[in-house]
Amino acid sequence: MKFAYYPGCSARSTCAELNEATHLVAKRLGLDLVQLESATCTGARELRAIDPAGFYTLNVRILALAESHGLPLMTICNTCTLNVLDAHAAFVSDPELAKSVNARLAGENLHYSGRTKISHFLWVLHEDIGEQRLSQQVVNPLTGLSVAAFYGCHITRPPAHYGFVDSRNNRALERLAEILGCQPIEYSGRTECCGFHTAAHDERVAIKLTGKQVLAAKTGGATTMVTPCPLCHTVLDSFQPEMEKDIEQKLDMPVLHLPQLVGLALGLSPEQLKIDRHMVPAGVLDRYAAAQSNAPK
Amino acid sequence: MAAPGDTPTPVVPAADGRRLGQVEQHDTLAARNSRLAPGDLVTLKVRRSEALAGDAYQEFRVPYQKWMRVLDALNWIAENAAPDLAFRWFCGSKMCGTCAVRMNGREVLACWEAVEPNMVIEPLRNLPVVRDLVVDRTRYEEKVASLQPWIERHEPYAGFPEPLTHKEMKNASKALDCISCMCCYSACPVIGLGNLTDFAGPAPLVQLGQTALDPRNNPEKVRRSIELTGIFNCISCYKCEEVCPAHIPIVSGVIEPLKAKAAELAPGMARHSFALRDIVARRGRVDPGELILKVQGLRGLRNLRRIWRLLVRRKINPIKTLLGIRTSAAGAAARLLGDGAKKP
Repeated sequence: MKFAYYPGCSARSTCAELNEATHLVAKRLGLDLVQLESATCTGARELRAIDPAGFYTLNVRILALAESHGLPLMTICNTCTLNVLDAHAAFVSDPELAKSVNARLAGENLHYSGRTKISHFLWVLHEDIGEQRLSQQVVNPLTGLSVAAFYGCHITRPPAHYGFVDSRNNRALERLAEILGCQPIEYSGRTECCGFHTAAHDERVAIKLTGKQVLAAKTGGATTMVTPCPLCHTVLDSFQPEMEKDIEQKLDMPVLHLPQLVGLALGLSPEQLKIDRHMVPAGVLDRYAAAQSNAPK
Repeated sequence: MAAPGDTPTPVVPAADGRRLGQVEQHDTLAARNSRLAPGDLVTLKVRRSEALAGDAYQEFRVPYQKWMRVLDALNWIAENAAPDLAFRWFCGSKMCGTCAVRMNGREVLACWEAVEPNMVIEPLRNLPVVRDLVVDRTRYEEKVASLQPWIERHEPYAGFPEPLTHKEMKNASKALDCISCMCCYSACPVIGLGNLTDFAGPAPLVQLGQTALDPRNNPEKVRRSIELTGIFNCISCYKCEEVCPAHIPIVSGVIEPLKAKAAELAPGMARHSFALRDIVARRGRVDPGELILKVQGLRGLRNLRRIWRLLVRRKINPIKTLLGIRTSAAGAAARLLGDGAKKP
């Protein structure tokens, strides 16, 4: 199984450990990833608002790069995923837009015909690897590890893309946690917002929104949280001291990137998965790591 | 392909990873409409006001009738069990926008929502409760009035028919579907934080969008209105879009076009957006350190403890930030985002 792989900005800067873990886990799972080196940022939430033409061009270019390899696109960031999904939807429904974007891409011999399949890593696990194959690959079931899934927004809303009447009904992360042997917990924060997108100018919103959810995860018995989005991860992990100050309670809640949780169950060690690069120490996970890691160094 | 006579290997259908949970959680209209049969009992726990029931949830059991809506259940309670239950409704057909409540933690129009076997019914959030399920909409109405949501022409009336295209009116006309039900206002997490920010909230922005996104409106007036909205405090969580019974694409079809207006008419409001665009145009990808410095200035350096934490864990790279190191995507970004970045 081969994918054009788009890591996005976060996984190549603040959350570089996510990119490394994704490559390791992909190798384990037999996923061949062609990293799109020349792909730009998708524009986060900012570009799409103030420069829609630029937004469509950058995102359609990413889809065209995947198409030039003849491969489906795999993402690992919720916001990037929604951006390329939105750009694709606009491209196929507006021939005028499609024409103008392709004209801008022609300079580097790129062309998009609207055929690239877009998949977040979470969906690849369920759709392409599949439950059966994935469970066969679990060499280190994470028995007893209670996990609070934090979906973030852009992988389950807006309803126009994902089709949920109520985004809280998404069970993709809990189902995955069960396949890996974990015990998913129920709590109020599962599909809440981390507030990342305004944190660069006002982090108080992110801190207020997430503190109570991390606390709810802790109260619900979670040993760790897991998220499919590096932006959510940045808030949940990096802002925890500020959350603790705000709610006047200790949290000490490790937060894992989705491929890191999968990696542990596949027998990779916390060191290989770079879990020590997180701000909140995750030593508590050591006892769930494979006794002897059998992964290639 | 299986040879003749072979038992075909059972194919496990691949799950749709995007919609896992939808079936078992009855998350489709068809599934929700077939969960109950006439004669079943529907259980409602209704939030009652303090003065009436000690600030508690009062439980009612209502016999299900075919096609029963939340409103039908509330009316049954008012007629048979609690004549003092306060709730608003008028048209019963998704037009007047008065009957919105929260059902099991989700904002719905009572007149348009099928009952579920077990329901917790609460008043909308983020507005003061008058009694039981009735909220005081003053806060919203005052905000809308302050935004002056009307059109002041800046060019003389061109006469009929006006030269307006569907494309020009695309977003404004979507906003015109709003029935002011307040579902989005209740669902908005930023509004839930009270006065922490000056964010006007989704419903007032949709009301403003009806006229501010109309090309006939006076840009100067639109600028004055948008400056009162704190619109860049929208966190793009799409909770408003999720609950909107009129299916208005509130984030992508109203808030983002209004942000574009703000960037054009009051660029100081869009500092964060311009900073990101500028960085991507130069470097190809976002450098988080530069983004913070550009948006916050020296304020970004005041939390030295966090900066130290980030440095130790190699979450930030000041050398890359300060030397303006470009990424492998810089060439494409420079070409496609035009002649340098748009500056305020």
